[in-house]
Amino acid sequence: MSSTQSSSTDQDALLQAAIDRSLRYPVMFFLTSGAAWLALALLLGVIASAKVHNPEFLGNWACLTYGRVFPAHINALVYGWGMQAAFAVILWLMARHSGRKCPDAVMILTAGHVWNLGVALGSAGILAGNGTGMPWMEFPSYIWPVLLGSYCVIVMGSFNQFRIHPQGRVAIPQWYIFAALIWFPWIFSTANLLLHCLPGHPVMAAGINAWYKSALVFLVFTPVALGAAYDLAAQVTGRPVSSDALAKLGFWSLAVIAPWAGMQKLAGAPVPYFLPYVGAAAAALLFIPICAAAINTVRMMWPCRKTFIAHPTLQFITAGITSLMVIAVTSVVLYLPDSTLPLTQFSWSGYGFDILALYGFFSLVMFGATYFIVPRVAGRAWLSNKLVQVHFLFSVYGMITICWVALFGGFQQGMSQENWQLPWIGVSAVTNPYAVAITFAWCLMLFSNVFFCLHLILMWRSPDRLRAHHAPGEPAPAIPDHTAEHIY
Amino acid sequence: MSSPNKMPFFKDAYHMSGAQRRVGAAAPASAVDGRVDSNGTAPVSLGVLTVFGVVVLIAGGILGGAGRFFDYRTMFRAGYERIPAPGEGDAQPPPKAALASYMARGAKIYAAKCIVCHGPEAKGDGINFPALAGSTWATGETQRFAMIILNGLQGPISNGKSYGAGMPSQAAGLTPEDVAGVMTYVRNNFGNNTGDIVTVAMAKAALEISAARAKAGQQVTAAELTADHRKALPGPPLDPTALVNPITLTPVRTSAPASAAPKP
Repeated sequence: MSSTQSSSTDQDALLQAAIDRSLRYPVMFFLTSGAAWLALALLLGVIASAKVHNPEFLGNWACLTYGRVFPAHINALVYGWGMQAAFAVILWLMARHSGRKCPDAVMILTAGHVWNLGVALGSAGILAGNGTGMPWMEFPSYIWPVLLGSYCVIVMGSFNQFRIHPQGRVAIPQWYIFAALIWFPWIFSTANLLLHCLPGHPVMAAGINAWYKSALVFLVFTPVALGAAYDLAAQVTGRPVSSDALAKLGFWSLAVIAPWAGMQKLAGAPVPYFLPYVGAAAAALLFIPICAAAINTVRMMWPCRKTFIAHPTLQFITAGITSLMVIAVTSVVLYLPDSTLPLTQFSWSGYGFDILALYGFFSLVMFGATYFIVPRVAGRAWLSNKLVQVHFLFSVYGMITICWVALFGGFQQGMSQENWQLPWIGVSAVTNPYAVAITFAWCLMLFSNVFFCLHLILMWRSPDRLRAHHAPGEPAPAIPDHTAEHIY
Repeated sequence: MSSPNKMPFFKDAYHMSGAQRRVGAAAPASAVDGRVDSNGTAPVSLGVLTVFGVVVLIAGGILGGAGRFFDYRTMFRAGYERIPAPGEGDAQPPPKAALASYMARGAKIYAAKCIVCHGPEAKGDGINFPALAGSTWATGETQRFAMIILNGLQGPISNGKSYGAGMPSQAAGLTPEDVAGVMTYVRNNFGNNTGDIVTVAMAKAALEISAARAKAGQQVTAAELTADHRKALPGPPLDPTALVNPITLTPVRTSAPASAAPKP
């Protein structure tokens, strides 16, 4: 390395450090409160799941009946953890790629608190019995403008940062993040306006709801996680994306295909006949964008597979990408309207698919991103490598259990449901062991994520890098004064 | 800056120690973050394109079932016919509760045969046609009720009053299922509420008894009804909640556990 290169690299490094430091409070806030919501969501998930096989469990509490706990669980998972983890990653990635510091930490933090307040009020509303009954939109109808407003404030700065390309081109993670930034308000306001403000035919409302669920997964969570996976795989391994063409194919096919998916959930319902088929075909076609992104990211990480076990970010991202491939294959296999769809339409397979996407793919990639980002923005190392490994193992094994059981136990359930001579209670009896297994897996994941949350909270202590990481015996290096001249 | 192809050692990247001293204390962790300035230009391989092609074919196959696109009025496949449920009991309609099935059959017969005289609410008209609602001959012994339907009736009725020229026989075209249905319907509708079912077996017995009457073919009278037919039709009773085939009204055997079917 020549000295000029070296000094420009040092400049880059200092700039990156300054950017990271400017993001400390917003990113840490979203990740920590997100992790707290995740732990709460998993606790509610354990309760909801236990009620499937043991209905008397906590049966005397009106607010803990299945019909309230289950939506509270999913909504806390989606809006409490999922969106907040996405905010943290969006803020960090956009700032890093634009080479600009955090636009306005105070405003973002204020809006972040409003978002948390909205999620808290919404979850309390669900538990109090005021849920709307629309999957993933169960928050009482006055919550969504609060969420949409605070969303706009939170991401406004990142949205503006997209215009800045210090490297002269738009990086792949930026494509995905910017697209997700636009798509979320589009689908969120469309679904909420159509369902809360302009209610039409109730059957079509169910269709819009199914479309919203699918779009939230494939147009918001998937691009955010893919952006993070592309970026972190490149950063950790130091290797470029192998195929620009494949990345473009993956991005644009996602943009074109994903908005069509979702209505397959309504096969057989009295909606216009072609809609569920278009949804099922789009769900199958989602294999293409998913597979393209998976191939590209795995190719980046593949040469580093030997040291792979030592790096939690790579571990989590690989596990997430693996889940994503399972999603791709299952979305081809599970949604064939005349053969498999009747078996999965009203069984656990749908739930398994949701959890696979929300936790198996999105959350695992977000964990990988968290383990990479937090030491940089918080300025201190993770406290315990063991906790990280436990988090990984419990998450992955819990995930495998839930998905295996829900996707394939769901098949068994679907076949029992199709047997009209078997009364409904008999279907429950057939699938009881699967329900117990799901509860067990949620317990594993709850355990690991409580520690994840505590670990994150401990990372709020003041930066320790100067104290801990200069060589013993050497004087502590002076802290460079980062003023505007380090930020171009 | 690490070289592009070298994996930064875990402790460096993760616990931020080695790299930190190299680039200064303020930027330890960031220093090992790879900066990758350009994407590779590898083409999309043929194998990948082939797999994508297969998926496109599958998706095309799914789309092929979709009928006309953007046709917002068609809710069902063209020429849709219900596929019978697979397995034992092929081509049978789904079973329904006995009372509901008998009532549904009875409602059709009532609408075809009885409604003209006895009226939609079975109140009659008070001059030529008596009420069935609240009639003790309708809700009382089933054999007496069956004889009236199958043979017609002349002379005074349960309330002692005579109505017009009497009622003609309604037996023509009635199957045992129809008789059972319409009797169950009248006995459990219009405010009548016996809660029991006149089964197909009972209706068959009624047809036999009717054919064996001494004055077969003539209308029955109150005297004959009281003398010969003031009893229940023979046959085992049927649980109103038991599942039956709604067409044949025969009980359906289910693989249900005994506890599943609610007992009254």
